[in-house]
Amino acid sequence: MSGVYTIWKKEMRVYAVNPTAYAFLAVFLFLSGLFFYLGVTLTGEASLRVLSSNLAIAELFVLPMLTMRHFAEERRQGTLEMLLTSPISPFALVLGKWLASVTLCVLMFLGTAVLPAILAYYGEPDWGVVATTYLGLFLAACAFSAAGLFSSSLLDDQLAAGLVGVLLLLPFWLVGRAEALVGDDLAAKLQPFGVLTHLESFGRGVLDTADIYYFLAMSFAFLFLTTRSLESRRWR
Amino acid sequence: MAVNQARRRFAAGSNALLVSVLGVAAVCVGYLLVDMQRVRVDLSADQGSVLMADTRTKLSLMDRDGKPVVVTAFTGQRGKKDSYFKDRALRDLLDELDYASQVVEVRFVDFDRERLTAEKLGVTEYSTVVVQRGEARVDIKDRELFKRVGKGDDRRLEFLGEVAVNRAFSQLTAENHRVVYALVGHGELDPESHDLGGLSDAVSILGQDDYELKRLDFVRQRDMPVPRVPDDAAAVAVLRPKVPIPPLEEDLLLAYLAGGGSVLFAVDPDSPVPSLLGRLGVTVPSGRVLDKMLVFPYPDRPVPRYKSHPITKDLSEDSLVTVVSSAAPVQPASPPMEGVRASTVLETSRDGWIDRGGEVRNGQGLYEPEIDGQGPATMAVALEVSRDSGLVKKGTSRVLVVGDSDVFTNGLLAEGPGNASFVLNSFRWLVGDEDRISVVGRPQATRRLAFSVEDTEQIRWLAIGLGPLLIVVLGAGVWASRRGR
Repeated sequence: MSGVYTIWKKEMRVYAVNPTAYAFLAVFLFLSGLFFYLGVTLTGEASLRVLSSNLAIAELFVLPMLTMRHFAEERRQGTLEMLLTSPISPFALVLGKWLASVTLCVLMFLGTAVLPAILAYYGEPDWGVVATTYLGLFLAACAFSAAGLFSSSLLDDQLAAGLVGVLLLLPFWLVGRAEALVGDDLAAKLQPFGVLTHLESFGRGVLDTADIYYFLAMSFAFLFLTTRSLESRRWR
Repeated sequence: MAVNQARRRFAAGSNALLVSVLGVAAVCVGYLLVDMQRVRVDLSADQGSVLMADTRTKLSLMDRDGKPVVVTAFTGQRGKKDSYFKDRALRDLLDELDYASQVVEVRFVDFDRERLTAEKLGVTEYSTVVVQRGEARVDIKDRELFKRVGKGDDRRLEFLGEVAVNRAFSQLTAENHRVVYALVGHGELDPESHDLGGLSDAVSILGQDDYELKRLDFVRQRDMPVPRVPDDAAAVAVLRPKVPIPPLEEDLLLAYLAGGGSVLFAVDPDSPVPSLLGRLGVTVPSGRVLDKMLVFPYPDRPVPRYKSHPITKDLSEDSLVTVVSSAAPVQPASPPMEGVRASTVLETSRDGWIDRGGEVRNGQGLYEPEIDGQGPATMAVALEVSRDSGLVKKGTSRVLVVGDSDVFTNGLLAEGPGNASFVLNSFRWLVGDEDRISVVGRPQATRRLAFSVEDTEQIRWLAIGLGPLLIVVLGAGVWASRRGR
């Protein structure tokens, strides 16, 4: 556990001095503010629902870019071999880096706290729904960060890792909107794999075990694959 | 050497690949298992995001039946105020129906883009829902799905879609059409009135189970040679007559009971009490029921306690309060009359009493043992009258006596979280549809923001500008401090 904490601390320190992290954080807050403003002025409703689905898509693009440097950068600097031969297990290494990304996501969401405050000032939001909306976005962020880590573990080039991360996640977004591309029957079958399908209930104040499991399972699967990918360096 | 290394890499690689595939497969299987045993918790304030228990009960009955049901909803008129809310509310409802049932197929159709579908179904209005089961169909119009309530700034749109679709399910599945007669001619509550004291909402709620409320006027009964309760009556409701019911009409009700009929009596502290109740062993003492447990801020609204009875079982489980206002005490005979089984349905807490005037403090009556009746005071009692009573000649008759008529009115149906369920479940019990007893939902309301054009400017800068600006300043600060080192 101390290994996880050491890695987490190191990554948080890197985030704190990394201008890219600030740039992406600012972009994320700008997008969330924009989606919120558009949603509120178009619907006049004291809810974060419009923001929720749009922000999930923003997360899909922003988070792989934030996590792209984790392993790609270590590899470029030649520190990955050192980390892998250190007493820290590959899984602890992955977990520490992932938790650092998740912590950054929490900070990003804290930065959007002004949005529910605006709702509370001009109306009466349903706080239960606001809480579940944030929970949904948080769980999605956990899954997307894990996918970003996985792509970062595959490639040496940071930017390529970021792009692969986005490409990896795009199908999870597109299958939720598959009716435009394939027939209704196939679209209905694909829908359970879509990220937006699973965010829908959170936006209405409903906690569904299947939705929670979906995001947790996605996080776990990508973390597992990242660990396997790092371990493969031992025999490749 | 090289061959050995290649062999080792192949073995390790295939092992890693197999483990990875198995790991991901295990996660997928886990999802399928969780999906089969989903648990959903609604954390929204009005608990309106998942289907009400009543709709779920009906869907499970339809699932058991296996006959496909198609629900087609058409979009609202684009650009119109509230069209976003209307479309979203309908879409959410369809999603929930789709999730909750295997036989219900849902379609959300863009009225403007998919005109052919609209023409095929003969739909000519926006925000229409068509529910089809085999050849039968029920069309639900916009006005049945959405209702504007409140005045001025409080004016808002309510979504009644689930109630309407629920009613359509009943109409399509039921061989369950039942007629309930409401006695009129003595100043009773008006089934057609939309006022706070009217019964129009109760009529609508009864429609959910395909119960039709008709007027029963013995004096103007022209289609029968001799006045009597019609043969198709599943129950008769006597809702707060303002003048005494003539003995002849009470005899007609008694004759109906004797034939195994069911009657609901609602009385108020100041309304005349039908003498028929005395013959059933129920008395309505003078005074009104009060309690220290009140529905704030009304001093005449005691919080009723649910006693163990099918009518209130689900209400009790869901902790939904039925609001009564200025209730009369109703007391079953003690010991009970032979052949009459009386069960208390609603009563006050131990701190309740029957108030007969006297001292009032801060608008609240006080219990004075010399003049008041001791609590707990009963506010509703259910009777099952068998042949042993000598009153009934066929089967068992059911009678429900409620000491407050307001429970059934539009005013309290809108206020009390449990009133709609209490009303519908009362009739379900009276007509013997106990398997349908459950909790009925309430309309969902929009949560609107109130801001002016000037405010939008403020919101824009707060939402879009503030956060990124702070981060840029923070980032610049960190960058400057590191440069300075």
